[in-house]
Amino acid sequence: MLGLKSNTQMKAEFEQLAMPCLDGLYASALRLTHSDRDAEDLVQDAFMRAYRFFDKFERGTNFRAWLFKILTNTFINKYRRQVKERSFSEGSERESVTAQLFSADATETAANPEDHLLDRLLSEEVLSAIDHLPIDFRMVVILADLQEFSYREIAEILDVPVGTVMSRLFRGRKLLQKHLQSYANAQPNQAIDLNEYRNRKKLG
Amino acid sequence: MDCRELDNLLYAYLDGELVDDERVAVEGHLAGCDACRAATDREHSTLLLIRSRAKAGGARAPDALRERLSQKLGDELKVRRVRAIGRLAAAAAGLAVCTVVAHSSWRSHQRRLYVEDAVNRHARSFPLEIEKPSPEQLEAWFDGKLDHRVAVPRFQNVVTQGGRLLNVRDRQAAYIRYDDRGRRLGLFVYSDKPGDVDVTEPEVDRSNGFNTVTWRDGDVVYTLVTDLDDDDIRQMLPQHRIPEDAVPAHAPTVQPAAFSH
Ligand SMILES: [Zn+2]
Repeated sequence: MLGLKSNTQMKAEFEQLAMPCLDGLYASALRLTHSDRDAEDLVQDAFMRAYRFFDKFERGTNFRAWLFKILTNTFINKYRRQVKERSFSEGSERESVTAQLFSADATETAANPEDHLLDRLLSEEVLSAIDHLPIDFRMVVILADLQEFSYREIAEILDVPVGTVMSRLFRGRKLLQKHLQSYANAQPNQAIDLNEYRNRKKLG
Repeated sequence: MDCRELDNLLYAYLDGELVDDERVAVEGHLAGCDACRAATDREHSTLLLIRSRAKAGGARAPDALRERLSQKLGDELKVRRVRAIGRLAAAAAGLAVCTVVAHSSWRSHQRRLYVEDAVNRHARSFPLEIEKPSPEQLEAWFDGKLDHRVAVPRFQNVVTQGGRLLNVRDRQAAYIRYDDRGRRLGLFVYSDKPGDVDVTEPEVDRSNGFNTVTWRDGDVVYTLVTDLDDDDIRQMLPQHRIPEDAVPAHAPTVQPAAFSH
């Protein structure tokens, strides 16, 4: 009886811990996969994997970080290849954009008077700019700026040293700002036409 | 600290990641350097803007996903419960649950064929050849009739109603019928030397409205057919603690408390 009851208790405990993380998992999965369907599949895979390994979770440690570790591992192992393959042609253009931005001194602080232009940016543009970051930078930006994990937690989740987290975050954020600055500069005064914006994005 | 060093620590500072000494050093430099202070303010507001925009645009998990996950957790729980009963039955019979690693879809398919046949035969309520025996009498009755030994699992509050010989597909099997307060359980015990039935740890299948658990002890395969739901299964199990993922090794880990006499 108790053997079974503890299964029930474990399910209740898992649900109580995991369900509140679902929105964050899904929002992050969307940024990783670029597709509603893949994001749902990724979250489902990670969620069920976490449940199956829940007895391995050390009670009292950070459950949310543990869940995101499973999410990113699942993504790296299973989805990254698919996503890469599917968006290969699109991806090569994208690479050149980021390479261009990157070579144009990404470490320069945005010290120009047009800074306030960023205020006009829409959520969709910010998310799209995140989506365009190379995957290693994108992961730390998602974890730090969308999920607000600490550097130590991110290091734990991605299994890299804290110093690596810091340098990826530095470069990721600078790249993101460059990207956003170019959107903002290209749209001086009028409200941004999203369709036009998307077309522009496709052209790279 | 010079302006370059500050630039390197800027995000760590804004993210609240700097410990006392470093933080003091950064703040000391900022107090005396207008350029860095302006740059820090800009970075700070940009960071806040990006974060708030990204969050505002972040999608919530679709309700359909939420529902599907709840559903899947429930399914997984049922499978675990039925598996636990399989382990318990194996332990109660004093069996080792072997882990023969063999994953081929053909063999899983074979297992399902055996399971379906066992379910159909259990449902047809064939007459018993020996009625109301004790588990020991039943073991003695099967002895010599089959080319493998038959260990009869004992469950709490469940009586052995009887037994007979009955085939599962091409295999001669011992069929043991239990009665759990008016509800029937059937257990098929058959030899599978060729290893056609793919089973490592107790496997749960569903067929025709029945739950089945199939497990293996060397060349001998056990298929338990039940229509029990969760509550019934819980009541059937002994009242002492069983490590839930403990697969019995060689000796039964469940000692006499699991026996019904
Ligand atoms: Zn300075």
